[in-house]
Amino acid sequence: MPSIGTLAILSIAIPWTGALAVWLARDRRPALQHVLAVGFALAGGVAAVAMIPQRTEANVFGAALGSAFGELTFLPDGLAVFLAVVATVIGSLAVIFSLDYMRGERQQARYYALVLFFIGAMVGLVLSSNLLLVFVFWEITAFCSYALISFYNDDPKAVAAGIKALIMTQVGGIGLLAGALLLYAYQGSYDVPTFLAAATQLPPEVLAVMAFGFLVAAAAKSAQFPFQTWLPDAMEAPTPISALIHAATMVNAGVYLLARFYPAFEAVPHWRLAVITVGAVTALMAAVMAIVSNDLKRVLAHSTVSQLGYMVYAIGAGGVFASQFHLLSHSVFKALLFLSAGAVIHAVHTRDMREMGGLGRRMPLTRVVMIIGALALAGIPIVNGFWSKELILEVGHEGGPAWAWYVMLAGAGLTALYTLRFITMVFYGEPHAKGHVHDAGPAMKVALVPLALGTLTTWLIAGDFARFLGRAAAGGHGEAAAESTGALLAQVATAPATLVALLVIAAGLCGYWQRARLSGLARALEGVAVMARHNFGFEAINRGIVGATAGAAESLRATQPGILNWNVMAILVGLVVVLAILALGGA
Amino acid sequence: MTLSLPALVAVAVVGLLGIGLAGLLVTRNLIKVVVGMQVMVKGGMLAMVLAGHLCGQVQTGAALALTVIVADTIVSVVALAFAVQVRRRFGTLDLQALSTLRR
Repeated sequence: MPSIGTLAILSIAIPWTGALAVWLARDRRPALQHVLAVGFALAGGVAAVAMIPQRTEANVFGAALGSAFGELTFLPDGLAVFLAVVATVIGSLAVIFSLDYMRGERQQARYYALVLFFIGAMVGLVLSSNLLLVFVFWEITAFCSYALISFYNDDPKAVAAGIKALIMTQVGGIGLLAGALLLYAYQGSYDVPTFLAAATQLPPEVLAVMAFGFLVAAAAKSAQFPFQTWLPDAMEAPTPISALIHAATMVNAGVYLLARFYPAFEAVPHWRLAVITVGAVTALMAAVMAIVSNDLKRVLAHSTVSQLGYMVYAIGAGGVFASQFHLLSHSVFKALLFLSAGAVIHAVHTRDMREMGGLGRRMPLTRVVMIIGALALAGIPIVNGFWSKELILEVGHEGGPAWAWYVMLAGAGLTALYTLRFITMVFYGEPHAKGHVHDAGPAMKVALVPLALGTLTTWLIAGDFARFLGRAAAGGHGEAAAESTGALLAQVATAPATLVALLVIAAGLCGYWQRARLSGLARALEGVAVMARHNFGFEAINRGIVGATAGAAESLRATQPGILNWNVMAILVGLVVVLAILALGGA
Repeated sequence: MTLSLPALVAVAVVGLLGIGLAGLLVTRNLIKVVVGMQVMVKGGMLAMVLAGHLCGQVQTGAALALTVIVADTIVSVVALAFAVQVRRRFGTLDLQALSTLRR
């Protein structure tokens, strides 16, 4: 058995080697390419899973990178190994699913190489304990997401969506980089465990800047308020990529960052309230937007944003374990939902739910697995999403302000409503799809069935999962890390918060059932729906920022005439200014 | 008042740099730009030799000056070759007329 340090290196290096191999295999030999992609993805998954029994709370593997860069070290504790396993295993299933989905597409070398590169970077991001390298991996995931969202690079919408994702996550990258540089300035190294152990020794204002910088980083990466607009636009990507970004990589990084540094930032004034606010606002807003959307993938994207809001809210309320437990549930059921949505879209060649309907009889397997995923999303007993969402609501009830709890409760009701809506629109009612509709292909089934089984069963390991996360998830409100599964589940099931939440969820379901009778209410809320269709004005803000930047560039163009005399003049003036500063500074 | 030799050289350095810079500031002809650059570089070279003398490391100054001579020759040869091509293709050496960034 290789040591944990070797395994950590392997779980990054195997996907990256695979990326190179797939790239070199080129497009002339698709069979070889598929074997390589699936083989390397699965091998990376095996390496990550092999880390589980050897996890440790100390740094492993040290390789000096020279001067200011510090050391290449890994911290494979429960939290990091858990996310590495999610990235590689769910990522492998997305690769397998792609065999059917991407059949016949051009440039598959680029596709599979980027997917494997993405998975390896995500593993590096969660395992690395050098904050500067965390930033480097963070940026690599941003690049990969950009390149994969714009995979159909002859489609202007896809290109625009990719650039949007890149720009928005860069804003977050600045927050992370600022935090990392501050840490180096005050601690003298980028080492994360040293920082977590001695965070209080930093000046409080420095710690506050880091805490809020990391919150910005996490919000941008996890598509939280006010950066939530890039994720729904990212739906232009091939559907397995959506599953990858939503379930395995990318958006989990923001939640990971908050969970990892929660112990250090817990005491920073207003930080927890800010985190709760970001989560609650996002969860509710995205749920409302999911109700009015008619694009199947867009509904799922809004639901991801909303569920990530729940995780962020849980961290703010002190429930690191609850957030990670929901992350586990969400990864499984959202990958399932996206891949089954991919099977549907692949069959009917449209994403518009108004053109689907009545697909249940023609796609029986897809219907069954997608309904399982939908039950989890809506938080209906007893699938995994129910337990984790109820745990979050319970933690929030104890650790967060009352208004936020009511917001989250309303979000849960709306989630049930839009979940029932999209299932009904896709699988029931009058068929609208034209032409032949076929059920999912064999490779799709290989990816869908394990995810469906996982959705039905992952809650059974709640207690083990709490022990597995260990110190990283301990502390905070309303959770004891070392409880058994039974005790944990009994605690959730008997909490008053659960009962209230179930009532709200039932009300949400009834609301859709009785929508004809509630049409008066729906008309009254038409204004909200119109706002939601316009992204609550956030697109207008984005356009404004883009317009202002372009306008500023245009007006500054006059200073760049390309005439040598002016450039020399500017150099001369710059020289004089520098000399003046030096002369005054020296005096 | 008599100037010492280093002071005289320093005046020459400032003079050469000033003349070259003034040339770059006012001329629009590509050939004259190259000439102005050459004048400036000669001032720089003289400054290196002077610095070597003042620090007692004449060899270092001379070696640097030789390196600059090589680099600078290549730069002017390439620049003049460009000038010939530009003149042939666009019919002018006026930088302002050649600029495509203007509005």
